[in-house]
Amino acid sequence: MIEEVKIVERNKVPSGATLIFGFPDVGLVGVIAASHLIDELNLSEVAYVDSELLPPLIVLHEGLPHSSIRILGDDKLVLAISEAPIPADVVYPVMNALIEWARSKNVKMMISLGGIPMQDRQDATELKAFAAASTPEALKIAQDKNVETLTEGYMIGPQAIMLQRAANAGTPALALLAQCFPNYPDPEAAAEVLKGLEKITGLKVNVAKLLEKGEEIRLRARDVMKRTQEEMSKTKKGQELDIPIYVS
Amino acid sequence: MAIRRKRSFSDLIDEYFKDLEEWTQEFGEPFAERPSWNLKNRSIEPLRETTINPTEVLITLDLPFTDKSTVKVKPVGKSTLEISAKMNRVIKSDDLGVTHWRGEFQKYHSHMRIPVQVNMDKMKVHYKKGLLEIHLPRKH
Repeated sequence: MIEEVKIVERNKVPSGATLIFGFPDVGLVGVIAASHLIDELNLSEVAYVDSELLPPLIVLHEGLPHSSIRILGDDKLVLAISEAPIPADVVYPVMNALIEWARSKNVKMMISLGGIPMQDRQDATELKAFAAASTPEALKIAQDKNVETLTEGYMIGPQAIMLQRAANAGTPALALLAQCFPNYPDPEAAAEVLKGLEKITGLKVNVAKLLEKGEEIRLRARDVMKRTQEEMSKTKKGQELDIPIYVS
Repeated sequence: MAIRRKRSFSDLIDEYFKDLEEWTQEFGEPFAERPSWNLKNRSIEPLRETTINPTEVLITLDLPFTDKSTVKVKPVGKSTLEISAKMNRVIKSDDLGVTHWRGEFQKYHSHMRIPVQVNMDKMKVHYKKGLLEIHLPRKH
């Protein structure tokens, strides 16, 4: 059978690294945070996703074609980022392939960076980051670092599949989510999620530059945000705001 | 007898696209996707969100690089709003990472239809850190 989603390696991928995901979702928190990590840590492309299930789209950088879903890294960390929203019907096969690939590289932990919609976000003076995990042990790592737990609720999108698949395999994984605007790019929430990442992994990232460039990021990310909104409505992303039914 | 000025072909084309733009803004995306910017008017269409609550319609717009003093919210008739805001710096295409066309933007412009009946006279507007909030009480 032809593989539906291939991960094509361009350069050596370290074994036993931490894998971070930054995919388009509410407030583009994950993508903004991942882009900042790439700049600050000077990460370079090590692999990319190749699939005919994805729309016929490439991203041009300096005149050369790139997959919209790429993996960048250094010797300790690899980071998967998507520069275009992942179509709702492709989320499963893409995440399955990425998680299978991560296991083949003995990834020690997966962390998905993202947002959690907040009502009256514009009035918030302080944002919080929450974590949910694939295993009790992974959850304890976040709790020990004083990252609040997202105890009950619904999760939709790539991070949901990551947690579910990692739980099935017993692989440690965390979804780290900062309170954010659901439909506007939110660099402040991205800074908050990076602070949470620092608490959990010890990875120091200066977020001052990210906050300084906040308005520029909001302007530049407008079109990707709009496309992401369209894709999120297909997955009924609003369900994340639903009050869960109590089942013990 | 009124004299009708003869319109050039390009005037007719401009008029056609203006009508199309107004139509698509009002009713969605019927034919083709259009960009979120307009080089001729040097304007960018902001991201916006409309929430219909039982008592009011809440519209928010994300307006980075603006100051409160330049924001204008103008009701057009009973069910349409025209919103504009001047940017506090000129944004060039280069600033947005675009190299295959040249242009610059100086303002936001949005023209939107309110989907339910509202009381335009009681409109309240708030602006905070580049986020505009428009509250319109619903008519029942």
